[in-house]
Amino acid sequence: MSEDLLNYVVDYALSIGAKYAEARYQIDEYFTLILRNGELISVNKSVSEGVGIRILHSNVLTFAATNKLSRDELINTVKTAVGRARALSHLVKTPISFSEEKLGRGSYEVKVAKDFNSLSVDEKLDILSDLHRSATTSVKEVSLPVTYCEYVEHVQRKMIVNSDGGYVIGNVPRLSIMFNLVMSSKQKGSLQRLMQWGASGGLELIDLWRPVQSVEDEVRRLEKVLLYGVEPPKEPVDVVVGSEVVGLMVHESAGHPMEADRILGREAAQAGESFIKPEHVGKFKVGNEFATVVEDPTIPGSFGYYEYDDECVKARARYLYKNGVVCEPLHNRQTAKIFNTRSNGASRSMDYSSEPIIRMSNTYLKPGGMSFEELIEDIRLGVYIKSYMEWNIDDIRWNQRYVGLESYLIVNGELGQPIRNPVLELTTAGFYNGISGVDKNLAFYPGTCGKGDPSQGVPVWFGGPNVRLSNIRLGVTV
Amino acid sequence: MSYELLSTCSAIASKLATKYDEFAVMIYEVNNVMSKIINNQIALNLSRNLYVIDLYLVRRKRIFTIELSTSDLSQVIKLSDDISNYVGLIKESELYSPLPEVKPVKPLSDILDRNVENYLNDPRQICELLINSAINEGVDRVAGTLSLSIITKALVGSNGFEGLERGSEVTAYLRVFKDDSSGQWAYGGRSADLRSLEEVGRKAAHYALLGRKSASITPGRYDVILSPLVVGNLFELVAMMASAFYVLSGFSIFMDVKQGDKVASELVTLIDSPRDIELPGSTAFDDEGVETYDKEVISNGTLKTLLHNSKTASKLGAISTGNAGWIVPRAWNIVIGTGDSGEDEMIKEVKNGLLISNNWYTRFQNYVEGTFSTVSRDAALLIRNGEVVGNVGRVRIADSLRRLLNNVRLISREYYSIKWWEVTVPTKAPYMLVSDINITRPFE
Repeated sequence: MSEDLLNYVVDYALSIGAKYAEARYQIDEYFTLILRNGELISVNKSVSEGVGIRILHSNVLTFAATNKLSRDELINTVKTAVGRARALSHLVKTPISFSEEKLGRGSYEVKVAKDFNSLSVDEKLDILSDLHRSATTSVKEVSLPVTYCEYVEHVQRKMIVNSDGGYVIGNVPRLSIMFNLVMSSKQKGSLQRLMQWGASGGLELIDLWRPVQSVEDEVRRLEKVLLYGVEPPKEPVDVVVGSEVVGLMVHESAGHPMEADRILGREAAQAGESFIKPEHVGKFKVGNEFATVVEDPTIPGSFGYYEYDDECVKARARYLYKNGVVCEPLHNRQTAKIFNTRSNGASRSMDYSSEPIIRMSNTYLKPGGMSFEELIEDIRLGVYIKSYMEWNIDDIRWNQRYVGLESYLIVNGELGQPIRNPVLELTTAGFYNGISGVDKNLAFYPGTCGKGDPSQGVPVWFGGPNVRLSNIRLGVTV
Repeated sequence: MSYELLSTCSAIASKLATKYDEFAVMIYEVNNVMSKIINNQIALNLSRNLYVIDLYLVRRKRIFTIELSTSDLSQVIKLSDDISNYVGLIKESELYSPLPEVKPVKPLSDILDRNVENYLNDPRQICELLINSAINEGVDRVAGTLSLSIITKALVGSNGFEGLERGSEVTAYLRVFKDDSSGQWAYGGRSADLRSLEEVGRKAAHYALLGRKSASITPGRYDVILSPLVVGNLFELVAMMASAFYVLSGFSIFMDVKQGDKVASELVTLIDSPRDIELPGSTAFDDEGVETYDKEVISNGTLKTLLHNSKTASKLGAISTGNAGWIVPRAWNIVIGTGDSGEDEMIKEVKNGLLISNNWYTRFQNYVEGTFSTVSRDAALLIRNGEVVGNVGRVRIADSLRRLLNNVRLISREYYSIKWWEVTVPTKAPYMLVSDINITRPFE
């Protein structure tokens, strides 16, 4: 795809009356291996290549996508979109406009140390089969009736041109592995664990992750949880929430409610609205001094990495909550204009056929200075929730629930007996006001965040340190 | 119909024949328009004109699949050439079985509503109808989505199968607000049925208005009426778990269940219904060219069959149920058996319970045991002695799917054709009254 053709499309849209036009060529290439019980089921390759065109015409914001890439087809796509915009224009009451920005003109690329081709497919399969082998040989008294694994290499390339002078080329390779296991005991029932690794980069990530070792260690611990886990204490106790759970909690209860489009009601019928209102920005106290949540697309090697967003706005770190106060929502140019501010570069699209919308990238709770041992040393009776399976949150991001998987009692400042399925069900304010300590062990976990209709899944990291919450009443599953 | 699409499939197939023992080529051409309604006005219009090519390739029992969202046919051939280089490096697929023998397939008729073609270029009338259907009931704010599609599907296989289908799809859902209360409803069908579309606004407004008075509830076990939206969401997961692939992979409550075992209350019947032409998942043939047919997955509480393609069927000693997915079998349309009650009669039956009008974010702690939770959104109505007394707000069903299926006590006569963000497989769903369901909310 040539830059000239994208410019031609933008110029054509302007020539027929568009106030704004952008053309984004995007190609997403995936290579996927699927295994069950360490045996290969299938090899998949997929390529999604096309152009997404966004036009502001007749006061209607319209997005059109096609993978028919000739000049004539692209111009027809613009004409059709504009025709539909005209037809709907009288149903628009509030004119749309964008914030003034100095847009980027440049390119960025994630360099890999080990190319995806540096291992052959059989060498990759050996590693993935080893995950199953190490899991099954690590247990003694339980069985592993099934394991399931997906390995995904993804290369995303974009070229974006818009009528306000933006021009950006991006190239990001990503690697991810998902490993699911079912562990079963005749006496104790079963448990299920889904482990994930994901980041931007190449095959050097496998050396970093050491997934076979991780599976081996975790399966050994989970066997004890299944066989010897007891119910959590019924009385309120201090709960130490592990990085994996904390990361998810801040993604759900700081990242999502701070999406400005959600605050304005644009996702009302799908993912919902937000407990945060426009007037809360800079004023509303959602937590105590430990409640500082950062959102940063520019973390090198992160799963949600980008340097410019899909409106060509330069990416930067933002404080969503700062010392307990609602600070800076995630903006695109449309919401920034409404909030009378500048975009902070949160506009992302899953693929060429998806409209750019406000998305998270890498979200984390700010760590502190303590060690984990110091964090728990004065807890007489408490619970440590290291990992989870089930979670959800309501549509305004207030009432949330996480069910622990690998969890332990804390007795007199030390980890003790494993616990089965402790339920942490609390409000967003309950979480951010309940923090009584954070340690220094910042860790990130990958996820695919879903939003929009048609639904768009984008890669994100979420993370945090281990966090101590005071005086929490835990529930149990049925 | 687009015989050109079939010719393209055949042209690709002819190039695959020299490199692969078996293959199938499927092309979708999608013409879609989606209008997004936010705060009573159109906020965005999306148009998508896409060409999606899927390939299934087998050589020496190694299975490869390719998905291409491109109109560049040279890429198709290049990728299929590239991927053939893996043959010597990998083992046979654990799930390999040959593509099934071709048998006659009875085509579906009347799956294309020509009106949808007209509305594609001017969705204004339906957008106005949707907005006004709710506003006229007295609500403050309307948000939602109208999606109109014409989809053509062509399939050519090395087993000799050739098939072509062209159908329409209409999906509409609205979430409407009155003061602090909200209601939601949805429609999914083949046709632009204006009566059903108008009903989306009316039903959403009905719950928004019913939920204006607030009430409180303590966590515990309650009798709960699930609206068709909630039934659609939960039974889509039951149908997913009935896919033999998910049973084999550890994502199913049916992992340790045999055909003929009781898995639900005798009132519960779940049908995969690809021959129901009112629903947009209807199709005459599956991805392996096997003729589809309607089948009871759960019949009066008993598990009758899993959903199979030829591979899972071969692995588990069954026969294909016409639900391929080359790798993962799936339900086409879901129809839940109706009962003899009405929504009002159900409400009168409840002494102390809830009507949950909508839910989202259903997640499992353990797919095999079925422990899960899901969060209510929109009106969650407290019922005391057969009367709605108020809206308890956002609560959670936190229970076991197995228990929930077994505790179904009443099912309504009326059903609704549903498809929306949280019900992705088109579903005809009734109301259900389920006993003794665990309801939670945060302790503080």
